[in-house]
Amino acid sequence: MGRFSREEDLAAAFVRLPESPAGLDRRVIDFVRGTIDDLAHLPELDIEATDRGVSRVGFGTGRTRTSGAASRRFAEQAREELAEFFGAERGYFTVPVDLSSARPFQRAVLEAASRIPLGEVRSYRWVAAGAGNSAAVRATGSALRTNPVPLLVPCHRVIRTDGSLGGYAGGLPLKQRLLLLESRIPGLVGLVATKRVCRAGCAMEKAGDELDRVVFSSIESARASGYRPCRSCRPEGVE
Amino acid sequence: MGRPPRTRSDAVLLERVAAGDEDAFADLVGRYQARFFRVALRILGNERDAEDGVQLAFLRVFRKAGSYRSDWQGSTWLYRVLTNVCVDVWRKRGRQPSIDAASEVEEAAARTHSVALRLDVHGALARLPAEMRSVVVLRFSEDLSYEEIARVRGVSINTVKTQLARAKRALRSHLKGAW
Repeated sequence: MGRFSREEDLAAAFVRLPESPAGLDRRVIDFVRGTIDDLAHLPELDIEATDRGVSRVGFGTGRTRTSGAASRRFAEQAREELAEFFGAERGYFTVPVDLSSARPFQRAVLEAASRIPLGEVRSYRWVAAGAGNSAAVRATGSALRTNPVPLLVPCHRVIRTDGSLGGYAGGLPLKQRLLLLESRIPGLVGLVATKRVCRAGCAMEKAGDELDRVVFSSIESARASGYRPCRSCRPEGVE
Repeated sequence: MGRPPRTRSDAVLLERVAAGDEDAFADLVGRYQARFFRVALRILGNERDAEDGVQLAFLRVFRKAGSYRSDWQGSTWLYRVLTNVCVDVWRKRGRQPSIDAASEVEEAAARTHSVALRLDVHGALARLPAEMRSVVVLRFSEDLSYEEIARVRGVSINTVKTQLARAKRALRSHLKGAW
């Protein structure tokens, strides 16, 4: 290729960075082994649904409570999507949630928490501001603690400003595990065959195999690479 | 790690991994860990994120080896998986240039006499989107052809060229005066 004035310097700049650290291969193998076990383990979830959507997710015994055909479909859909999420194959949920039992401020808090992108975290203060009352940090914490639909509304992505985890209805080890899990689910997946960019778990995305996927860091980068946002999962909504 | 010289091709190893062969996976890790780390460090800018990236990439390799097809070069597929993971790690770490990157690069620069290094090429690279940095790294660190980079990143050869040109422009403007 044609050399540009300092092209060789670009190559040279890469030469002297540190080598891979000792024992990396062992750590990789241990990590993969541990994670495979982790991904195989799906917590027992209680799910309740109404004819408007999923109204409660609980960490319990795997019970389902529904009333009528529509609510049964929602509960089934929620189980499927949650299983894909715990298998690191899904990064968002399409099943509707029914928050009609929540008070207006709690609903605003849960909606703000839903805007935290997959794999990222925000502070209680950030969520309070998003809910329209940046002073109500304590009330925000309480609204999140009583989130009727954890996982579907990702209250596990809310942590303290100092970086510590805060609380979680399912217990802190689960909160930690969820955050780790999300680091393993790609956020924006481009499909080479169709030049569309999707969220992980979209039907379009699931149809492609690993050879067909390229991950992007933003919709803008995807567009610059010739990929358009999928009209079905609308990934531009999560940025 | 003291493994014997390569006896099986990458493609064969990947096929064994897909069949659940843990020894083949260990061979693949031994064969590729240094290369993976080199690429991840150059894309992500610090050793901690780079190691996370390498682990996640090998996890992906282990889980998805079944979708590998032998009409692809093994290394091309592995670079695809690795750069995908690195781009995602970069996004989730807040799309910020890493703080450690500057110091590591300064150390690297101190070990050489290259003027370009003193100009902090990495500092400039850290400001580019991870996708563009991946392309730069595949070209200048891994010495891949345009065609192979295009395949790794699922883009056209023209996009590869455009991204390299934009990266160089960004570097020039960052290092302006010295060029």
